Amino acid sequence: MEFEVKRERLVLRAGGGKWEWHIEPRYWRNPLIFVGILIVAPVIIYFWYPPLLATVIEANLLAAIAIPLALMTIGTGRMNFGPQFYIGIGGYAAALLSIHAHLSPGLTMIAAALGGLIFGFLMSPLAIISGGLYYSLLTLLFPLLFLEVTYIFTDLFKGDTGLSSTPGAEITPLVSTGSFSLNLLCYALISLTIMLVYLFIMDKIFRSRYAIQMAAINDDEEVANSIGVNVNKVKILSFTIAATLVAVIGWFYAHYYQAFSGQVFLPLSFMLKIFMVTMLGGRTQIYGCVIGGYFIAFLEMILIRTTGDMSPVLFPIILLILLLVLPEGLFGLYRKRHYREYMPTLRFRR
Amino acid sequence: MTEILKVSNVSKHFGGLTAVNDVSFSINEGETVGLMGPNGAGKTTLVNMICGSYGVDSGKIEFLGKDITKLPPWKRCKLGICRTYQIPRPFPELTTIASVCVSALYGKDRPNRSLEDAMTEATHYLEFVGLFSKRNVLARDLTLFEMRGLELARALATQPKLIFVDEVMAGLNPVEAEKAVRLIEHAKDQFGVTVLWIEHVMAVLMRAAERVIVLHYGEKIAEGPPKEVADNPMVIESYLGRS
Repeated sequence: MEFEVKRERLVLRAGGGKWEWHIEPRYWRNPLIFVGILIVAPVIIYFWYPPLLATVIEANLLAAIAIPLALMTIGTGRMNFGPQFYIGIGGYAAALLSIHAHLSPGLTMIAAALGGLIFGFLMSPLAIISGGLYYSLLTLLFPLLFLEVTYIFTDLFKGDTGLSSTPGAEITPLVSTGSFSLNLLCYALISLTIMLVYLFIMDKIFRSRYAIQMAAINDDEEVANSIGVNVNKVKILSFTIAATLVAVIGWFYAHYYQAFSGQVFLPLSFMLKIFMVTMLGGRTQIYGCVIGGYFIAFLEMILIRTTGDMSPVLFPIILLILLLVLPEGLFGLYRKRHYREYMPTLRFRR
Repeated sequence: MTEILKVSNVSKHFGGLTAVNDVSFSINEGETVGLMGPNGAGKTTLVNMICGSYGVDSGKIEFLGKDITKLPPWKRCKLGICRTYQIPRPFPELTTIASVCVSALYGKDRPNRSLEDAMTEATHYLEFVGLFSKRNVLARDLTLFEMRGLELARALATQPKLIFVDEVMAGLNPVEAEKAVRLIEHAKDQFGVTVLWIEHVMAVLMRAAERVIVLHYGEKIAEGPPKEVADNPMVIESYLGRS
């Protein structure tokens, strides 16, 4: 193995292979740098101030919900206002199976993903038969209906209090090291892994030939249909895949808190947070979702600590002001500066 | 000559309004057929039915001997039917090359085609319509004439056998209109497509079409060579009114 530092790049030769890494500033957009920062940050926080890891976990999960939502939005050409429905499906599936069937987290994850897949597939025709405001209202309605169902079947879903671990009927934790701080670090790294996997999958999809038909549908689905794009198939696929991925986040919430209550995740307040992550990050920009997730999670934490009871009022006000000031989102600031660096010039702006 | 399109007794009603009433005609391979008529005659509705955007209330549409009456638009496109729009409908948020690339990828069943291959092919069509230098410009930033060129490139990239050109002259100045006519004639020669040209401007069809079909209030009132149709009293009456 040979390592060589050249003027503008680092060269690594190992076996028959050769890897080059440009170190000019214009190549600093290398995603590995940001992935490295995201991995190292929780470890530093663990040694510095472990409770802050809870905010990091929340940020990762918000981003991990917003990233598939970007696929759903672009693929269907419509804004879904009820992604938390699938969090509910995944969360309740995991919690119920863990408590009643004593399944391991691995199996509950498969069940949660299957639940998301089935419900996503069943709901996906909504993107075909409805559009615009009607689609938004319908998708907004389903989490609230699900919340009502949890109240009606209180015996099963435990209504307001939700499902939680009790002696003999536990929701198995994902990690159990014996140390609270170390548990938090592990959860932070697991949530980060999920988020990065989602980011990787979406990045691959958005750079592929399939993305270009999604972009066409996003712009004008009738024209897309007339030039050979099977619009309904794309809508169903993108809706179902996104719903499945979001359901897995519900699974994580259930095992992370060892409890799951629809009262926390299904109301509009949680949807508003996800919506803000998407909009503030940069309107379905998947990298913007990461920035948005961290921004919203940390802003909420800072407001709770500094303003206490006023935070539920101040939080949406600040977000609305930011939406007005930054219509292209936080990622839009970067895009404006680096407009010419984008190759290929496919853009998914909505 | 092979019959490429056969429309038999198609009708379309919107509530109480009859937009197209019992229209029949056929188009042969390699022909340029003009479809004309005053505003509201049902020309675009007829094209929408042939392309699959609207369902047919009654009648039958056959393409290369295959019944396509119930097929969705994307399947008709894959068979070889494509169109441009009266009011250009580009993908506003996509660059011109990406817009044409969608057609190059999905206009025909080509499962192993990569995005790069489609991009390369898209440049060929952009060059043909003179938009290569604007390949990285967003479609919404193009002029009207350029948008029409883009629509033509997008349609040609699906490798159609039959192309519908819907009122390409609308909103163009005489120089641009002349360029557009030459472009379509050139496309017909180079790509061997059959053209159904919907147009208000009589002079254009007199020059470009081999046969003209005239619609009035949703009904076919004349069909034949342009000169013959132009002298038809019913056509004159539908355009100029009764004296």
